[in-house]
Amino acid sequence: MLQYTLKRFLLSLPALWLLVTLVFLLSRLLTGVPGEEQILQDSGGFYSKSSTGSREQAYLSYLERTGQNLPLFYFSVQASPEPDTLHLVYPAHHRTFLKQLYWQYGNPEAVNAYYQSIKELELAPSAAQYEGLQLYIDRLYQATEPASIKQTLAALPVRIPAPLVSELKAKAAGLTQKQQAYAYLLPSLRWHGTQNQYHTWFVNVLQGDLGTSFRDNRPVSSILYEAVANTWWLILISILVAFIVSFELGMLLVMPQSIKLRKLLLPALFIIDSIPLFLLALLLLILLATPSFLQLFPVFGLGYHRMSGGSWVEQLTVVSQYMALPAICLILGNIPYLTNLIYRSFSEESKKEYARTARAKGFSERQVIRKQLLRNTLLPTITVVSDALPALVAGAVVVETIFAIPGVGRLLVDAVLARDYPIIVAVVLVVAAFRVVLYLLADVCYSIADPRIKHAAS
Amino acid sequence: MIQLLNDIRQLSQQKSAFKIAILYLLLLLVFILVLPILPMAYGPNELDLQYTFAGPFTSGTDGLHWLGTDALGRDVLSNTLYGARSALLISVQVMLFATGLGLLLGMSAGYLGNNGLKISRAALPVTLLALFVFFYYGVYVPYSLAKTALPLKYTWFSLLLLLFLLLFLYRLLLPLLKKWHVAAVTSSLPLDYIVLRLTEAFTSIPRLLLILALASFMQPSVLLLSVIFAATFWPSSARLARAEMLKIKQLPYFEAAQSLGVTPLHLLTKHAMPNMLGPIIVTFTFGVADLLALESTLSFLGIGVPGTFVSWGRTIAGIRTNTSAWWLVVFPGAALATTVWALQTVSFHLLNYFEERKQL
Repeated sequence: MLQYTLKRFLLSLPALWLLVTLVFLLSRLLTGVPGEEQILQDSGGFYSKSSTGSREQAYLSYLERTGQNLPLFYFSVQASPEPDTLHLVYPAHHRTFLKQLYWQYGNPEAVNAYYQSIKELELAPSAAQYEGLQLYIDRLYQATEPASIKQTLAALPVRIPAPLVSELKAKAAGLTQKQQAYAYLLPSLRWHGTQNQYHTWFVNVLQGDLGTSFRDNRPVSSILYEAVANTWWLILISILVAFIVSFELGMLLVMPQSIKLRKLLLPALFIIDSIPLFLLALLLLILLATPSFLQLFPVFGLGYHRMSGGSWVEQLTVVSQYMALPAICLILGNIPYLTNLIYRSFSEESKKEYARTARAKGFSERQVIRKQLLRNTLLPTITVVSDALPALVAGAVVVETIFAIPGVGRLLVDAVLARDYPIIVAVVLVVAAFRVVLYLLADVCYSIADPRIKHAAS
Repeated sequence: MIQLLNDIRQLSQQKSAFKIAILYLLLLLVFILVLPILPMAYGPNELDLQYTFAGPFTSGTDGLHWLGTDALGRDVLSNTLYGARSALLISVQVMLFATGLGLLLGMSAGYLGNNGLKISRAALPVTLLALFVFFYYGVYVPYSLAKTALPLKYTWFSLLLLLFLLLFLYRLLLPLLKKWHVAAVTSSLPLDYIVLRLTEAFTSIPRLLLILALASFMQPSVLLLSVIFAATFWPSSARLARAEMLKIKQLPYFEAAQSLGVTPLHLLTKHAMPNMLGPIIVTFTFGVADLLALESTLSFLGIGVPGTFVSWGRTIAGIRTNTSAWWLVVFPGAALATTVWALQTVSFHLLNYFEERKQL
């Protein structure tokens, strides 16, 4: 059995690795440099007068701190004229400008020389004296066609020191002279070794370090820990209650005398099942927690503001008030499916021989169901629970957002809205790992509930 | 196909819920198709800023707001109707695509198994090379060029080169390599294993979480969202198609067709596909219902969907700023729940029907 479990664990690892790697790589590949706006805000706001140089410095140090200055993967494939250090250029519109030049002229050295000479002109000590020079420089940063570059250069004001202008013109001429027009069609494969983002991230994850959040620089693991603590209770209570209620309902429905109840309850459950969870939560919110109808429950958060001090009993009573409505939503959302399944499995079991024997022996229907059938129907529900728990995390996303509970779901939604990728990747990793662990637990539970499986496996 | 229509007719005579659901869906379909030519006082994105959060039956600037307005004065009636249109259009298209992809992968995995697909030692590196060429010239270069302002001719060059290189690889290089007998040795590709691991990877976390994560990496757009939906919805139909294929493969009629020398393509499309049509349709309708709920959940959360996209979820989200505006939840919510209910009822009864027929 142990061997079988271990084998299944090892078999589930490739899929886990594939998923997390995919999410990590996509998060970095598709987004450019995340958090750029934020650095600008840290260094005094987008419209502040702080010099370009200091902002560039802030940008580079930010990249270095978050490890984003490194290449993404062990190797990279790019068009040969485009250097792999383009993402270090600041600000963003220079990056697009440079990229266009690289692709158009195909000669990185000539392009870099031209770019440097524009920067020299911009930073020249005498340049600050000329008002309106910045306008020309901005136009230079936009001109990419040979004709428009020439035009912009010709329009430069005369008062600029001649050597600078002539150098600029020479470099611009160099662009067209040294042009390698279709160099972009040639791919270049670059090998980066282990000094890359993926490798460092992966090694850190294996050591239990999930990185730091882009938003507030706190370690992801501690943010996640706080969130998981809240969500964990919500999910656990919901699944337990939903399970017990569904079992009771299932046993009630399978009784022969409850035909009427069956005709009423099964369609009702079907209708509840077709209401999406967020709608269900909103309906409950409107009905039970707004002043205009019934205000039975507090609406938002977990009531931390009311929890200054107090024993854990007091804290529990406060928290449970706030947890009640979200938990009810999750329970209601899961009952239809669970009840239906349990009812079906009960009604199948009740047709079997041993149930008939028990009835013939004189057990009441209630005793047959509770004593004879229960254990056998428990078996298939183990799988359902191990499937339902991760699905509850998805439900928690919706419910926590609506009721403002600081849990994993809300953390994920906030991270998605703020594009905080380390947190997103970490949540995906944790939930996927949670599922693997649950599957293993389900295997173990199976072998306890039905010893025959143990022999079948080995 | 005709058999299926007969089945539906027979079912609707027996089950009244099924009949109602089918009628509702047909009505909705007709309504969606004629919606753009219907005379409506307000468009779904038209702002009536003087009448924000107006209750039902308030008269606005251009006419009566039958079902009220939201925070920006958008008409709830036209948002509900157009919301049905956009939700169903996106769901059906995505499900068609995802089912197609799932069928392709699942059926080939089931049919070929781990030993069915033999490829020569020469074909593997050539195919890898071709894939690389495709992604470089067909995806990366056009994508990068689209972000710069370079003329279209650059893209054409790249695509032309792609065509030329592919022709070179498969018409010239591969036949040449195969003459060398070491390279012509074939070994089997474990297709079944690969497809199974892929479906596992895509289903190892709840769909909503995966979609949220993927949607955060890109600018909100309906097209990208559809791609993400399709990428997360194919595994269910792939699993089903694989399981059905494994069953059908052992049926006598299929083996007879095989031994007659029917080509694999013909076998799959003419002999296997019709036999699994029922279960596929059931997963299709279940998938559409799932997608409807998912799409409105995402619009409600405001993730991955542009703000101009008309959706039930967007209208419902208005309740978060004004909890007393019940009409924002009730009308679009009722439409959403009814549609999901109708789709689920149809699939549920079809599923039961197919299962019963199989047992006969």
